[in-house]
Amino acid sequence: MMSAPMLRLEGVQKSFGGLTAVAALSLEVPAGCVAGLMGPNGAGKTTVINLITGLLRADSGVIALDGAPIQHLPVHAIAARGIARTYQNVRLFAGMTALEQVMAGSYLRRRTSLMASFLALPSARAALRMTRRRALDLLARVGMAARADELAETLSYGEQRRIEIARALGAGPRLLLLDEPTAGMNAQESEAIGRLVHTLRDDGLTVLMVEHNVRLVSDFCDQVTVMSFGRALVHGTPTACMADPEVQEAYFGRKEDAQRIRALR
Amino acid sequence: MADFWAAYQSTLGFAMVNAFFALSTYAVLSAGMLSFATVTFAALGGFLGAQLAVHLALPPVLVMPVSALSGALLAYVVALLFLRLDSHWMALASLALVLITRVVALNATALTGGVNGLSVPLSLPLWVLAAILAVICVVFWRLSASWYGIAARAVREDAAVAATLGIPQRRIQTIAFIISGAVGGLGGILLALMLQFLSPETYFIDIAFTMIAAVVLGGSYHWAGAIVGAVVFTALPVLLQAVVPDFEKVANGICLLLIMIFLPRGLIDPRALRLRRARKAPSR
Ligand SMILES: Nc1ncnc2c1ncn2[C@@H]1O[C@H](COP(=O)(O)OP(=O)(O)OP(=O)(O)O)[C@@H](O)[C@H]1O
Ligand SMILES: [Mg+2]
Repeated sequence: MMSAPMLRLEGVQKSFGGLTAVAALSLEVPAGCVAGLMGPNGAGKTTVINLITGLLRADSGVIALDGAPIQHLPVHAIAARGIARTYQNVRLFAGMTALEQVMAGSYLRRRTSLMASFLALPSARAALRMTRRRALDLLARVGMAARADELAETLSYGEQRRIEIARALGAGPRLLLLDEPTAGMNAQESEAIGRLVHTLRDDGLTVLMVEHNVRLVSDFCDQVTVMSFGRALVHGTPTACMADPEVQEAYFGRKEDAQRIRALR
Repeated sequence: MADFWAAYQSTLGFAMVNAFFALSTYAVLSAGMLSFATVTFAALGGFLGAQLAVHLALPPVLVMPVSALSGALLAYVVALLFLRLDSHWMALASLALVLITRVVALNATALTGGVNGLSVPLSLPLWVLAAILAVICVVFWRLSASWYGIAARAVREDAAVAATLGIPQRRIQTIAFIISGAVGGLGGILLALMLQFLSPETYFIDIAFTMIAAVVLGGSYHWAGAIVGAVVFTALPVLLQAVVPDFEKVANGICLLLIMIFLPRGLIDPRALRLRRARKAPSR
């Protein structure tokens, strides 16, 4: 299947002081694809996601969505173009229930004006009801429907991660960026996330996910990019990437260390 | 009973007026901003409204909307300037604005009467004040249940995350300022009607302190907190004076300290309620 890339990064560069976190990175994610982004700790994966979503500004390079550059847009405008994300260290809103988190995530899909909503016009009430139903559906999708009215911060880490995915889906994105969605989950839960990502792709979503779990990447990603020291080391099918000697060296050579560090924090 | 009523009538009036200032502060706080600019909105609403009453002999029903509108307009301009600043700088800048307000009040004699002050030839029955407060409560209730309320909470809790969900921080915070300005301007004219006399000192640090103390006391995570805080903060010294004289001067200070230490999120805290409920009903 030949399709234009939904997301294209070209020569993207980002330094923090003397440290080059992302160096001349080029990357393409075709529409309808589940792309994996791998690499040892500190490789720059999260920085890439921050650059795409506009939370960080690239020093140079182009980031394009459907061929249109977006790297100059404000963060909320990038979201409005159809990019949503989750965070490596869960960032849910304090004091909100699971349902309210997803409702907040549905801001772009609110379908009613501030005034109509304020005056509780019938149209606004209907829109709010619909958004609530949609939010509940999304929670059901990530297996959290039973927890809709619970304060998100009281739930387990894995549950919070799933609520964060539902919140991101609330925005109705075309491109979903997941930063280590299975961190802190057991094999079963991770597998469930993998299957969820597949159903999302089947619904037409494009997914870019940072993931350390090799099994998950092999089973669920259509293509993989492995980063090391801010550069794209290799790019290709999961099998080809894992077999690459450079990857073995850069990634697996230090994987034990990486795992130990993660267990510590 | 009649004596009691007479003695506490004015306390009740001031408690309600302070509730407007506290709500005005809550309006910006609930979108993640600490600003003392309410004092300035109140001054504009108060002086402008008083002048309209003096020179055009307008009745309160016409004066009050003008005051609210002027506060909202000024707040829009203030938002354009302040929203460029980081949060703690905004708080400082708003404090500077309060100081400037007093200087202007002293020197813009045509508007404020300068050092001589300004008599306000109007008054307002207490029940009208209560009715207006009730209307404003409905407004805040509706706002909190609207899209704006959800978005403002998200911006307050984590503006960066909110932005990645498409929630425009600047826009939400500009709306917050406009609401704050309208309520502050309205509070300004209501204070003028209560006092029936305005001086350059009327809208100054006292109000800033009262409104911040009220939201700290009552809680800044629900609009009702601002009202509870304003009532407690206004009434406590007066009630204590009757019970234990000499104590009332420190009562508010002690009360504030205790609240900040033991209930840092204030008396009214929806999150604490939910946490308590979650503990009571352990999940399956
Ligand atoms: N805001 C920042 N300021 C300064 N340095 C940063 C910042 N964000 C990231 N870095 C640095 O940039 C490098 C890349 O970090 P990044 O978080 O992108 O790595 P990562 O691939 O996501 O790693 P991990 O697997 O640990 O999440 C690291 O050396 C990190 O310390
Ligand atoms: Mg990371």
